Amino acid sequence: MHLLEVKNLTKRFGGLVAVNNVSFHVDEGELLGIIGPNGAGKTTLFNLITGYLKPDSGKILLRGEDITGLPPNKIANKGLVRTFQIVRPFRHLPTIANVLVALQSYRGRRRIEWIKTAERKAMEMLEDVGLSDMALEPAENLSHGDLKRLEIARAMALEPEVVLLDEPFGGLNPVETEYMIKSLQRIHLDGHTLVIVEHKLHALMKLVKRVLVMHNGEIIAEGTPEEIAKNKKVVEVYLGKAI
Amino acid sequence: MPLNTITKNFRKAYTEFTTRIYDVPPRMLAFLILVMFTLLPYLIPYGRPLREILSVLISANLMAILAVSWDLLVGRTGLISLGHALFYGVGAYGTAILYKYFGWPIWITIPLGMLAGVGIALIIGFPCLRLKGPYLALLTMALPLSVTGFLYYFGDVFGRERGIADLPRVFPGLRLYDRYIADYYLSLALLTICSIIIYKLATSKTGMVFVSILDDELATKACGINVTKYKLMSLAISGLFGSLAGAFYAHMVSGSANPRFFVDPTAILPMENSLVPIIAAILGGIGTIYGPIVGVYLYRLLQDFAFPRIFECLKAIGVTVDVYLQPHIALVAFISIIVLLIVRWPRGIARAIVEWFEDLEEPREVEEILKEKAEKG
Repeated sequence: MHLLEVKNLTKRFGGLVAVNNVSFHVDEGELLGIIGPNGAGKTTLFNLITGYLKPDSGKILLRGEDITGLPPNKIANKGLVRTFQIVRPFRHLPTIANVLVALQSYRGRRRIEWIKTAERKAMEMLEDVGLSDMALEPAENLSHGDLKRLEIARAMALEPEVVLLDEPFGGLNPVETEYMIKSLQRIHLDGHTLVIVEHKLHALMKLVKRVLVMHNGEIIAEGTPEEIAKNKKVVEVYLGKAI
Repeated sequence: MPLNTITKNFRKAYTEFTTRIYDVPPRMLAFLILVMFTLLPYLIPYGRPLREILSVLISANLMAILAVSWDLLVGRTGLISLGHALFYGVGAYGTAILYKYFGWPIWITIPLGMLAGVGIALIIGFPCLRLKGPYLALLTMALPLSVTGFLYYFGDVFGRERGIADLPRVFPGLRLYDRYIADYYLSLALLTICSIIIYKLATSKTGMVFVSILDDELATKACGINVTKYKLMSLAISGLFGSLAGAFYAHMVSGSANPRFFVDPTAILPMENSLVPIIAAILGGIGTIYGPIVGVYLYRLLQDFAFPRIFECLKAIGVTVDVYLQPHIALVAFISIIVLLIVRWPRGIARAIVEWFEDLEEPREVEEILKEKAEKG
């Protein structure tokens, strides 16, 4: 059984087919990359999987359990967590409270334990991404690179089985990109399954073992980074046809 | 001596005081203000001015509870309500109706009135919380208006524009002045308790989730949080305290110029009761919880003490303003003052004061200043 399985997913916006009959699977402990030019439907695919949009047809299975059409918060609690392409911090809250909000969903299960350990746990999450110095600073004072890492810390606080990362390198400078690659590698080594949507092919190719290529809402190629780089179709999509 | 140096010296002296002798946190300041208001009835001579001042302060205290509950809902959770008078009205009419038709004592009818407030909050919450921002604001604005229409339509039960009369007082045994003093202390205690509860809640982990909904609803959902549940919670708590204020209003303030206590739609559900919490919160500092209290006091100070005195003074120097024109002139002047205050302190007066005190408390700041001075020679 695959950890996450997407079967024949389709989403239309009026006449536009944003995601067209997409099927793929993610295995436990995998690091999957999804690439594609602007408007290929990558973010729509993420929105469908995490419940922000309802698919017109198709199924999403997490450990064999059908999660299609569930609200986003339930999907997040089941262990399928996402980050956003454009950072969405809670600007009025201190950095540590941003992580505490994500830890809140444990409260119902083990309340007393939660109150005792939540702050320490949130601090550990921040240390993992190198933000512990900024813990009490309001999130609005953080730089873009810090906010990107805060998104990761917030997602990891939910103890996810699968993390869907929407352009984790977007808007980062080379140093920050390098740091982010290391953070993601460490998270992966800790046994988390990652799915990464990305534009920066260079950064992505270093990281992943298997890549899907999307174009006009469809998956046009699949393979290792080396295979993808040589794939004619993919090169055509990115650079245009040779005359 | 230039102003800059005076400020620096004052800061230095203050820091010396707080670090060596006694620490004065904002909490201490709040306590001192509370002590001042507790002693207030003994500072004013027994008589008509005392009654006037206390009756204004009693209704200001109750209005402040409403404003604080508004601030939890709007300033902390981001659900815009332009019709908070609804809860005031539900609380007041709830307790009044129960008294009139069942004759129960007020210590039963007031809690039931509060429960009615929570009930109404949940009933309107389920459908309305699907709306956001301006749409929710428009809808909440319409609610008190439609309730007023409802009260008139079922006039046989609700007593039409004359309302429900002969309500019992909270302290029936006391004579006029003593009753005012007792009512004043009760309202002050209620305000203190309610605002402390709401403040504790707003700064708790649950309050943290409220703020995360205000900041970014989608991201809150991504954190696995049932946003609707927390929104309903915020609305219900806000409704609970709003209707508490309304219920006590019915037994303390309503028709207090009249020997018979009564609630009627024009006293309970006017637009003013929805607007004062908003003005107060913006004036004092939205989202601070303590700001709206300062805002309500400022509002009542201007409306009930400052403007009548100004018109009296004008009359004394020979400028007579028509009685019917006075409220309108006062309103324009009041709005102008508010605009000026907000331009000067856009994040609220109370917040500015607290931040000023927090700045003063920072001993490092003085050290840094001294270091800079030493470096400059």
